[in-house]
Amino acid sequence: MALVTLENVTYRYPLTETPVLKGIHLSVEEGEFVAIIGPNGAGKSTLCYAISGFIPHFFKGELSGSVRVAGREVRETALSEWVTRVGLVFQNPFSQISGAKYTVYEEIAFGLENLGIPPEEMKARVEETLELTGIRSLAERSPYSLSGGQQQRVALASILVMRPRVLVLDEPTSQLDPIGAREVFGVIRAMSQKGMTVILVEHKIEWIAAFADRVIALHEGEILMEGTPDEVLTHSDLPARGFGVSRYTQTARAAAQQGLWPDSLPLPVTLEQAVEGFKTRNSSAP
Amino acid sequence: MVVSSGKMHPMHERLSLYIHRESVLHRLNPLTKLTLTFALILIAYLSPWYWTGSMLIAVVIAPLSFVGRVQREYAWAALRLLAPATGFIFVMQSFFLPGGQTELFRFAFLRLTSETLAQGYLTAIRIFVMVSAFILFLLTTHPSALMTDLTRRGLPSQLAYVIVSTLQIIPQMESKAQTIIAAQRSRGLDTEGTFLKRVRALVPLVGPLVFGSLVEVEERAIAIEARGFTSPRPKTFLHELPDTRTDKIIRWGLVFLVLLTLGANAWLS
Repeated sequence: MALVTLENVTYRYPLTETPVLKGIHLSVEEGEFVAIIGPNGAGKSTLCYAISGFIPHFFKGELSGSVRVAGREVRETALSEWVTRVGLVFQNPFSQISGAKYTVYEEIAFGLENLGIPPEEMKARVEETLELTGIRSLAERSPYSLSGGQQQRVALASILVMRPRVLVLDEPTSQLDPIGAREVFGVIRAMSQKGMTVILVEHKIEWIAAFADRVIALHEGEILMEGTPDEVLTHSDLPARGFGVSRYTQTARAAAQQGLWPDSLPLPVTLEQAVEGFKTRNSSAP
Repeated sequence: MVVSSGKMHPMHERLSLYIHRESVLHRLNPLTKLTLTFALILIAYLSPWYWTGSMLIAVVIAPLSFVGRVQREYAWAALRLLAPATGFIFVMQSFFLPGGQTELFRFAFLRLTSETLAQGYLTAIRIFVMVSAFILFLLTTHPSALMTDLTRRGLPSQLAYVIVSTLQIIPQMESKAQTIIAAQRSRGLDTEGTFLKRVRALVPLVGPLVFGSLVEVEERAIAIEARGFTSPRPKTFLHELPDTRTDKIIRWGLVFLVLLTLGANAWLS
């Protein structure tokens, strides 16, 4: 049975005319890694808020259809209860730091204090999360003295420590430098490998190709297509509709038009796939 | 982004005077220290004896700064900030308070009498006690320890959050303001010159700062909701803050002293 189910979800923000999400059907299996791609304004963030309960509990407006996680309907569950099932991490690392705490250790414990977890269990869970996210060395630092990548790992740790069943990430690396982004992806991948259900909105197509089980292309509030990373990410309809496309796909597509890409292979997304393709082509060329 | 070592917390980075040391004063419950602070202030203002304030500084506050092992920081604040300010009040009151019979000195519009001199000293020393007591309190009490303790005693957690997060976020906003100033200057904004010119230059600085902060407020609200801030379950606390019998005895003792002073004040007047 699917862990996350969206049925015919349509949502309109307050004081707006057109819905941002239009009749979304989506189901995500336990342990699955689903990536969501789409141009600006496609409704990616809104979809994240809908899954993580901020729609309808935080953002008012008009929601129709059904959002279920582990059999519970979002409308019938309080937000403070919902966040223990679905964790949300978003772009800006700075604004995810609560400001209520003076060390990283306390910052991570903040959510557990709110949930009324006993101090002994709290400490055990914070310790475990520090290891998991590789930020043990930052534990006594002020969250405000950290780099963006470190702050984002603290934000991620602060959510993971609450042990949600689903992790929703809305462009978690878009404000980070390459090193920070790699560190954050490392944690996300490790969580996925441990069996956590991950829903990731991301622009870095090559990372998606390497990690995701399934890709959903969102366009003007509707699901345009979904499938395996290779199917979706190299689809010829995407560039014209404003989707980001991997530079390796672009290169290989241009090469294919000149007959320089092997017909037997699909277009590549990652550097490794591209190298493989050109190798094949060169070894079979006269 | 300012990167600093974990051990050092420059004051401008967190808007707090707290100095981390091991001492009896540090180990006292925050409420006990808060009670002490207010008791010192009340006694200084209520006591009918003229030299109470001076005695409190000499016998209680200064020695306590040694007990708390923050004597250097306390002395620095007292001499560099507090002494000039209270000195100014003393001089102004001594010369310009109306009344006073026993003239000591007269030059043009300046007139010093022994009565205004005594009154000026009393006012200055009371302010000295008040600010000193708070400095000592802030030097030895971590703001989050104070808020945790008060929340446990029934202060609404929303209010505690507003206080602590403001202390932390103001320095961040300050550095953001610096960035905006640099950005607008690089586009030719003149932030120097006459007063009027400077005021006009504020407009393109305040806009981005205020609107940027408002967007951030929404995001921060989402972030703390995502961590169950509004959960109806009773909160727990990571750090146990001991509230010993000694703490309770000290607090009741202080309340008793304040009442005693109040009684003496009523009796003698």
